[in-house]
Amino acid sequence: MNNIRKWINNANVSRFRFWVQILTFILFVYGSYFLIHIGQNLPTFACPYNPGSPGTCFLISVQHQMHTPFSSLFSWRGLGFLTSLGSFVLFFVLFNKAWCGFMCPLGTIQDWITKLRNRLGIRFSNYDERSFKRLSWIKYVLLVLLFLIPLAIANSFFGLPKVSHNMMSPFCQICPARIILPLFSGDTSQMFINFTNTTTIVMSSLAILVLALFFVGSFVKKRFFCFFCPMSALQYLFSRIGILRLTKVGDKCTRCGNCSRVCDMGILSIAEDITSVNVVTDNCMMCFKCVEACPEEGCLDVKVFNFKIFSSTEEGFFKRYNPDGDSKELPPLNSKK
Amino acid sequence: MQHSVSKDRFERMRKTGSIHYSMEIKKNLAEIVDKFPDNPKSMQYFYDRYEHFLSGDDSSFKGKKVVASMCIHVPLELIYAVGAVPVRICAGAYAMDQIGTEFLPAKTCPLVKSTLGAIYLDILPGNIDPVLIVNPATCDQKKKMGEMGEELSKPLYLLEVPPTKDTEEARRYWHRVIKRFVKKLESVTGNKITRRSLKRAIKMVAKAQAEYRRFNQLRKTAPVIYGKDAILVTNAYFFDDIERWTQKVSELNDELEKRIEQKIYVGKPHSPRILLTGSPSIFPNMKLPVLIEELGGLVVYEEFCSTSRMIWDTVAVDEWFLYDMIPAVADRYLKPSTCPNFTPNNDRKRKIAKGIEDFSVDGVIYQTFSGCQLYDMESRMVGNFVESMGISTLFIESDYNPDDFGQLTTRLEAFLDSLKNKK
Ligand code: SF4
Ligand code: SF4
Ligand code: SF4
Repeated sequence: MNNIRKWINNANVSRFRFWVQILTFILFVYGSYFLIHIGQNLPTFACPYNPGSPGTCFLISVQHQMHTPFSSLFSWRGLGFLTSLGSFVLFFVLFNKAWCGFMCPLGTIQDWITKLRNRLGIRFSNYDERSFKRLSWIKYVLLVLLFLIPLAIANSFFGLPKVSHNMMSPFCQICPARIILPLFSGDTSQMFINFTNTTTIVMSSLAILVLALFFVGSFVKKRFFCFFCPMSALQYLFSRIGILRLTKVGDKCTRCGNCSRVCDMGILSIAEDITSVNVVTDNCMMCFKCVEACPEEGCLDVKVFNFKIFSSTEEGFFKRYNPDGDSKELPPLNSKK
Repeated sequence: MQHSVSKDRFERMRKTGSIHYSMEIKKNLAEIVDKFPDNPKSMQYFYDRYEHFLSGDDSSFKGKKVVASMCIHVPLELIYAVGAVPVRICAGAYAMDQIGTEFLPAKTCPLVKSTLGAIYLDILPGNIDPVLIVNPATCDQKKKMGEMGEELSKPLYLLEVPPTKDTEEARRYWHRVIKRFVKKLESVTGNKITRRSLKRAIKMVAKAQAEYRRFNQLRKTAPVIYGKDAILVTNAYFFDDIERWTQKVSELNDELEKRIEQKIYVGKPHSPRILLTGSPSIFPNMKLPVLIEELGGLVVYEEFCSTSRMIWDTVAVDEWFLYDMIPAVADRYLKPSTCPNFTPNNDRKRKIAKGIEDFSVDGVIYQTFSGCQLYDMESRMVGNFVESMGISTLFIESDYNPDDFGQLTTRLEAFLDSLKNKK
């Protein structure tokens, strides 16, 4: 048992994650070709516009179900919504925000873009972490709008005129997944500007803009889109009841900052916070890079319920960040290259 | 310099200074080695290093440029990466302290006086002739001492350590300071830092850290080594060839492992376990740890900038390119530091608390050099905190002068006795 534990703690989780991401990418982008059907209300971008998708994303269900008059929302349709929410939560609690770190196709694409940048030896841009934190509210606004706009199509708020039907599924209209994921199935039909009327022109142009931002952003800043993702906002609301957990023993922390400096989301509190046990914050994607980078024994732990499955250890740290990790010897001295 | 002395007088000072220094080294080393039975065999290497402290070791510095540093905030990895060797010259010699007294106010901290004395007389470990002496802006006395060193036309370089480490502003500032430091290093050595050379340097230092952490694990497991020896081991990190140091510590660790198996322990089963903190013990000023252990205590952990604080913390690089490696190295020399120069410095309390836990400490001895304002001011905060954990603390104010042995003995005896009674 101890040997297994040691083997796991010495493991390179990032490499493991890389392979899991490839597998889940295939699953969520091509699943239906393998006759896999996972289900509806998935807590990740399994986009139904993509013919290969093995299921549907919860956000599209929300937008459909909110498109309903108040009277029925508070009766049978409301029940329907609660059922969807229930299944979303059930899927979600299994892996908590690791849906983002390990399974989301959009997240994976962004990580690939980062890998590409790395290959090219191009540096990332340095931003003050706080400025991104300051933009954190955007995802919550998107989340609220995603509920409100469909409601406002079906209902009149405070006597205002109803919102046009052209605003159906407003988030889907600008979501980069709707355009990108079908491309992987060879379907380019989502990449166009809809000239039907002004609303559609605006929305579909916005979509292209978001798409461009998605690519450019994630090239200069790791996981750029994730900072604004309403799925992440929605997930975070339920993160506390997740079965998979990321916890910290503050007394063991030296606040060396290793964890926050390798964090793709630039989360500072993972190092600074020495009182919380649960250290999953709203931007966290549970990639566990921080656990890999922490050199203090048992300071950061990944747990299933209360059972530790991966912990920070001295040995693991030096394996991953040190000579013996990739080669026994130091690289030769002649360094003129 | 104001206190300029004639060439003749300087030569005389240098001569007597180095004679006194050698005598001090011999005498103190004998205290450390001979008074204790059955020192680990692998310690011999370290004793020898101090024996030849001043004559140095030809091979490690041969053909290399030396960058001297006066503090733990100087990133060693960067110095290795430009093909130079770092040597930390913070001095612990009373003989040099007396030289420094010539230039500095009487109430200056002995470490500062001693270091300036050594710089002035050019009596540095290994007889090095540094191309750069890096003086981090930590305490006021060091800063001002650096200024005087500059007047002595020594190649001093001020590394601007921020007064706090908690804010992102401080971190960014520090990153910029380090960037400029890299430029300076490149210009004094004529070598460029490359991706490869820095990667190699980071890994080389990480190896040393891994070995040092193993050493600590062993000390945690059982009382296998005296604190006085442990301090010598870490102290040698100041000036030793790092790869050889790592090798030797690894040999020592192997030996200690065997000793644990054979249950060969130091001290008595009921020796009070002591955590030392405060102003750093630097060879040859080892009077406090040696005295404690002579009197039957056992130093199990030191929270000093000459020991754990210097080696413990690690570098984590996300992308192995210069643009991330240099800031990563910079972060390592700022974020985890528990130097009292930083305000707030709660991390120091937390580190001491962890030391008390991990090493099952019975009592804390807090050393303040007379004249060291920062450690003095933090002593109350640390003391109250430690007492709140139910651990007793003894404050010792001392300097490099060996005269206070008698008085120290009385106080230490009383303290150790009270700890024994508690056990
Ligand atoms: S934050 Fe959004 S885009 Fe990013 S991984 Fe999570 S669900 Fe995917
Ligand atoms: S890496 Fe570990 S010890 Fe360092 S700040 Fe993060 S949690 Fe604390
Ligand atoms: S805090 Fe840790 S798990 Fe969360 S995103 Fe950052 S590195 Fe990944």
